[in-house]
Amino acid sequence: MSNVIKHPVIISAPELKPNGETDGSTFVSYLPTVLAVGGAVLLALLRVRASGEHFISDGALMMLALACYLTAAVFHLTNLYAPAPLFQRLGLWAATGGVFFNLASWAVRWVEAHDRELSIITRQGGEMPWAFRYIPFANLYDLSLAFAFGAGLATLLIAYRPSFRFLGALSLPLAALILVLARFMGNEIVNLPPVLDSYWRPIHVGTASLSYGVALVCFAVAVVYLLKDGVKTEAMAIWTSLFALAVFATVGHFMVFSPATFGTYGASVQVATAAGKGVPIPVRADVPFVGWMIFASGLLLAGVVFSFARYVLRGDAKARRVGHALLKLSVATQIAGVVSLGAQLKSLTNVASLVNPRQYAALGAYIYEQQGVAQQQIASVGDAQLARAGAEFIQTRGPQLFLNMQSNPVEVSALITALAGTLFVLLFSFRTEKLRSALPSLDKIDSLMYKTGGIAFAGLALLLITGAIWANESWGRYWGWDSKETGAFVAWLTYGGFLHARIARGWTGRPSAYFAIVAFLFVIFTYLGVSYLLPGLHSYA
Amino acid sequence: MSAVSETQTKFLRGPKAEARASESLLTRLMTLLSSVRFGVVLLCVLAAACVVGMLIMQVNVEGFDKYYAALTPSQRLLYGGLGLFDIYHAWYFNAIILVLSLNIVLSSIDHFPKTWTFFSRRKLDASEKWLRGQECHNALTLAGDDARSIALRVAAACHSAKLKPRVTEKNGKTFVFAERGAWNRLGAYAVHVALLTIFTGGFLTAQFGHTGQMLLTPGATSSELTETSFKLDQPVQTSVTLPFKVECTDIQQKLLDKGGAVSPMNTLDWLTRIRIKDGARETEALVQLNKPFDYRGYRFFQASFVPEGKARSVTLSVTPDAAGAPAEEVTIKRDGAATLRDGTRIDFTDFYPDFVLSGARADTQSPDYNNPAAALNITKPSGETARAYAFPASAAQAGPMVGRAVAGYKIRLADFEKVGAAHILSVQKDPGASVVYLGFVMLSLTLVGVFLFAHQRVWAIVEPRGAGQFEIVLGGNANRNRVAFEDRFKKLVKTIEAGS
Repeated sequence: MSNVIKHPVIISAPELKPNGETDGSTFVSYLPTVLAVGGAVLLALLRVRASGEHFISDGALMMLALACYLTAAVFHLTNLYAPAPLFQRLGLWAATGGVFFNLASWAVRWVEAHDRELSIITRQGGEMPWAFRYIPFANLYDLSLAFAFGAGLATLLIAYRPSFRFLGALSLPLAALILVLARFMGNEIVNLPPVLDSYWRPIHVGTASLSYGVALVCFAVAVVYLLKDGVKTEAMAIWTSLFALAVFATVGHFMVFSPATFGTYGASVQVATAAGKGVPIPVRADVPFVGWMIFASGLLLAGVVFSFARYVLRGDAKARRVGHALLKLSVATQIAGVVSLGAQLKSLTNVASLVNPRQYAALGAYIYEQQGVAQQQIASVGDAQLARAGAEFIQTRGPQLFLNMQSNPVEVSALITALAGTLFVLLFSFRTEKLRSALPSLDKIDSLMYKTGGIAFAGLALLLITGAIWANESWGRYWGWDSKETGAFVAWLTYGGFLHARIARGWTGRPSAYFAIVAFLFVIFTYLGVSYLLPGLHSYA
Repeated sequence: MSAVSETQTKFLRGPKAEARASESLLTRLMTLLSSVRFGVVLLCVLAAACVVGMLIMQVNVEGFDKYYAALTPSQRLLYGGLGLFDIYHAWYFNAIILVLSLNIVLSSIDHFPKTWTFFSRRKLDASEKWLRGQECHNALTLAGDDARSIALRVAAACHSAKLKPRVTEKNGKTFVFAERGAWNRLGAYAVHVALLTIFTGGFLTAQFGHTGQMLLTPGATSSELTETSFKLDQPVQTSVTLPFKVECTDIQQKLLDKGGAVSPMNTLDWLTRIRIKDGARETEALVQLNKPFDYRGYRFFQASFVPEGKARSVTLSVTPDAAGAPAEEVTIKRDGAATLRDGTRIDFTDFYPDFVLSGARADTQSPDYNNPAAALNITKPSGETARAYAFPASAAQAGPMVGRAVAGYKIRLADFEKVGAAHILSVQKDPGASVVYLGFVMLSLTLVGVFLFAHQRVWAIVEPRGAGQFEIVLGGNANRNRVAFEDRFKKLVKTIEAGS
């Protein structure tokens, strides 16, 4: 090519005015997004004018968003198996409705949080703090609403291209899943810790929710890529089953499978205080049947892993059929377990009688600790006396003990996520070939995966940067290896791995898709796991 | 791990296996260090180390002592020996970051010459076969006078599609090459420069930075910082002396609910007023939550406070014992005084949130405002002095001191402004922060530049097909955002067709 530069250049740039015409289809293609966002803003403004009692609550709006996402997901899925323009259109408009209600719910919470403190402060003649104090980024529920919105918005923006409409079939159910999980966290509005009252908060958390949303879409694309690339659904089933097995094994601190509490699952107990609020105590009440359901699901999934491994490794067709049957059975037992858990968390009344007496001693130690007794002193008290103290507490406070949906948000979320994973695999294994042929070309999916992965990477980088600047302005250090920081950093590194695997020899294609999937798992771990499982600065959200 | 062995096996099996085998160890090491695959492996190792640091509690996290106590001796020995309790400061963690930085630099040097050809040796022509193999390609037939005028028409269309065209001739064929955003090829390098800048800033902070705490009680002066480091479960306090003195002139706490406690959750803002005495120079400053104050490279932040209930000011209702004399209301600031109409002076000396007498001495039973009382010194115009305690009208424990007249006055505590006993400021000296911030700005800009733009290139060959007809073969590619490129390419083809 060395002679290329020797070419005589006739003209470098013709002197012509650039054509000023705009593509007419641009606005129409963004119309759903504009309508959803604009409508939500309008609704929030109406809420500012109207009084709270006569206005639709944020909780109701969230349920509407959930319903819309689910409806949209059904239309999108139907469209994959039986393509029809009507389904496409209905799916797109239902998704638009979902994004509208989702954002409206979030915005209405902003107004509600403001109104809540308004009465306290103005009664005492104080001046009202700025409105950004109330922006709903105060707890995980708020963040989940924004996260689901980010995913919905990214889907709407991508799905205006008909060839990418398949995306909604996966990303919208995931957005719905996030809303369901949020439901288990409880939507009460919390007081903002004062150190968080900074203008960096909306910037930082806003970046978080949008980039998490894009990460979710990238995950969905990566799964679709693997599906299109011919990864066997049975191989996928092995991975989701292993995930589910890990969940089943660890819920309730390994209680379902540990010999002493074999086959039982306990939910954390709360005590009602005089103020009507629940205070959690370190005691679990056995929820009948649920432990056995989890055990049975685990057993069936172990069977799934075994049979599908035989099929994938040795091509055993019989093992494949057995595996599919076990997979279906396990979906049934998992649904039964989750539904029965949800129903009983709401309805169980005789909580005191469900507490296994083995926990009394630990409870006794906790009670002493709450009374301010020193650790050494508690250690010197015998287990028998601690157990008596615990038993007495359970007896006297028995009627005040209760369970609710927010008892174990992470465990319930993990159980539901495991179920969702199994359901998706079941769905993919239904007429897989037809599904594969309905998907766009591998090249197209790959380019979408690269785009979303790149944006997720850039978004997470901005998340880390804004977090670091905020931390430096508030605490005087820009990086402290706090668990949430580190979690986001690990997710970012993994997206970095995804981007570089694409240009590394021999690692393009599937291996880079695996990076995109693992990166999203880290995002989820950062978003949920860190808050509940690890200590640190971000433990509130 | 696997990349190392794989790369080496490939060397042995490759066509130049023998030549490679004779390469010096250094060359092979450099090849490894500059490979992207090795970089990805390093990313994974770094991520794994971070995950270990998340799962094993680190020494500086609150509650580490409790966690450490619950570990088995073998766990303590293993984790401690491997440095897992402070993994982010372990030598191997720094080594990973160092090798990663080296990998970034070497691999960039390795790849840069090829990237630079996008600028130094633009590909101005292309074969028809190659064009038809591009992700976007098309062929048109147009009527015109000569190949050059057709080429100019294509160039004009490229221009209106916001692609910068060049028309060239070679071997009797006419080529149009048009591109936009070639700078995007350099974006990846800029991103890595930004990352290295951040690493450098982090290194400066770790080496030359200080962060300590300073307890400030109103009226007191200090120049000592307490730095806390950890030796496993034992916090180690070291003292750092500032090159100037800090005097606390006032502390204030803006409460959400003025009737509530001085707890963090009931607080909107903390305010500490300080006076810095630096030789002959004095500087007044206000440190607020999320509004730090900078002085000579040191930053002062609100960190925490001593939650013992005190009063920033008290409002007293003073009623003369003599019948018929009018009552007065005075507000006195902490350690301040007020003079009554008759010249009597009242000094506000101390405040007790939960007043109790232990013997003859006043004290507080708890840090909460259960039985608030203000300690006062009363000086009559005659010079006669007396000590008094003012309680609210609703004083819970009506002890012997409540409501008693002192020096001819009945004094009640009408109101008081709640505040903690002392504020704790965090003081930071961080020479690396500005470098890190520079890196942040670079990273944000370069990431936006990389992912929102693309290098788009289009080539066209114009060939005469006889009878005034010319065939144009168009092809093009983009390094990212292919969907957007497809749109532009389609538009370009439409414009060329419409122009005929």
